[in-house]
Amino acid sequence: MVSMYGPVKEESFMTQQQENLSAFTDGELNEGHGDLVNALKQDEQLQQKWQRYHLIRDGLRGELGQSTGFDVAASIAAAIEDEPAIVAPKRTWQDLPVVSTVVPLFKQSGQYLVAASVAAALILGVQNYNQPSDSEPFMTATPISGPQGNLTPVSLEQTRSVQRNDMAELLEQRKMINALIADHQRQLQMKQSHQFDKEERVEQKDVQQPPQQP
Amino acid sequence: MHSIRVVLRQLKIAAACVCSAAFFVVDVGAAQPSEPQITDAQPADAQVDVAVKRSGTEWLFKMNQSIQQRNYQISMVVHRPNLDAVPYLWRHGVFDDGVTMEQLNSLNGPGKEFIRVNKTISVFEPDVAPYSVTGELIDGPIPNQLLSDPLSLQTAYEFIAVGRGRVSGRAAQQIRIVSRDNTRFSYQLWVDENNGMPLKFNMLDGNGQLIKQVQVTQMVMSEKPDPFFARINHDVLPPVSAMSRTQHQHQWRITYMPTGMREVKRNTHRLHITGQVVEYAMLTDGLVEVSVYVMPVTNNHQNSIFRHETKTLLMRTDGDIQVSVIGEIPPQTANKIAMSLASRVR
Repeated sequence: MVSMYGPVKEESFMTQQQENLSAFTDGELNEGHGDLVNALKQDEQLQQKWQRYHLIRDGLRGELGQSTGFDVAASIAAAIEDEPAIVAPKRTWQDLPVVSTVVPLFKQSGQYLVAASVAAALILGVQNYNQPSDSEPFMTATPISGPQGNLTPVSLEQTRSVQRNDMAELLEQRKMINALIADHQRQLQMKQSHQFDKEERVEQKDVQQPPQQP
Repeated sequence: MHSIRVVLRQLKIAAACVCSAAFFVVDVGAAQPSEPQITDAQPADAQVDVAVKRSGTEWLFKMNQSIQQRNYQISMVVHRPNLDAVPYLWRHGVFDDGVTMEQLNSLNGPGKEFIRVNKTISVFEPDVAPYSVTGELIDGPIPNQLLSDPLSLQTAYEFIAVGRGRVSGRAAQQIRIVSRDNTRFSYQLWVDENNGMPLKFNMLDGNGQLIKQVQVTQMVMSEKPDPFFARINHDVLPPVSAMSRTQHQHQWRITYMPTGMREVKRNTHRLHITGQVVEYAMLTDGLVEVSVYVMPVTNNHQNSIFRHETKTLLMRTDGDIQVSVIGEIPPQTANKIAMSLASRVR
């Protein structure tokens, strides 16, 4: 600081500047922007204050990330200098798998119909294949219902690939997720009263009790 | 530095234009689309208030008073990242005989409408016969209890006044709402400095990422209730269905709940989609609701966790029962609740 002012004066000038700076940070300084900005450019102490005020304000407003270090600029500079390592992104709530909007029931049953009809077609196909052929009238021996030559009997289990099993399970889980989300939303709507409770409630004796938690 | 502030000012003007464009769509009859469409019938009380520094709780109390005592019509838009914005129209009227009426209307798609007369809330939605429930206020985009009884939330949340800001073209006070044990999402609320009405409401996850935003785009405060309310035919509003409040007993209880959360509902019912019988409990802290489901394991699901809009869905298999927790809470909290289930000691 240039010693234009006496020691006492300088001190009061500093507090005045600090107050202005604080008001500036809050957006409440009405005049004297220019002087303050000029002082900021020259005075390192004031610069550090400016940084701290903003950090405090951001903290108060909840605009800081969770892991903000205090001297960000310096730590970033240091990090760039000595650490070329790749940092794996932290798993956050935003990264959770997203379940899209609940599919209405009829749409879903449509999907199941398709899947079921594919399975039915498969079974039919298998049965046709194993049927004794009627186009050979002169057959003497009754066809054996077992392994025929090198043809192994095709069972439903074999036609289902592992992938199909996975898919069924995925669909099942998806259905469960949808059911739970839809029910949660229903419960929220009814929270203000016990609307529908009567029709929905299941008599205790009918309910198969889930096993006790260990 | 000066030029930056000029740019900022221009940005603000641009934002105001976007705002006005937004409500222009909502209110085609707007006379001056370039001016913020917020009118205040009683600006007189305002000047006195501004000078006083208020705490977060005091601001919320002021908001509560305005919401219950003033006549207003508010247009607002609810935005969730990666989803369509949802516009709402919200009206409130206080009549000379002490009757209060409120309307909330979802403006896009097939629509859903709530009409409240005193403490009876009637719900009109497609595919469901209209019905009525009882409540102080309609449960709209801004959590109902925050508006109707903010002081009751203080066991669970802290209200911190942050400072001034400018929202929807109005001078606003920002209030942070943070759970006392830091186990829930946090909120930012902007309240109109002059009339105490809510202007903007943000929901943030643990990293400060925005997950839901309610933004007021138009607000009209009036002396008299909106003429809309006079057109309501009170005879066609469905009656409130009388309900028994029997609480079910289950073989399990929840031993961990975040501060200020309590169990408000317990029953056994069937899931509509799968027809499965589930044991059910609802927890709430006034701002968020959490559903806990207990059922026998149907197939071997692994423990999994999903996100649906702002909700976390956690499924956990424990022996031969499956515990599911759904609600607007961070996954860590959902997991803690699910892990805390214990058998009830008789």
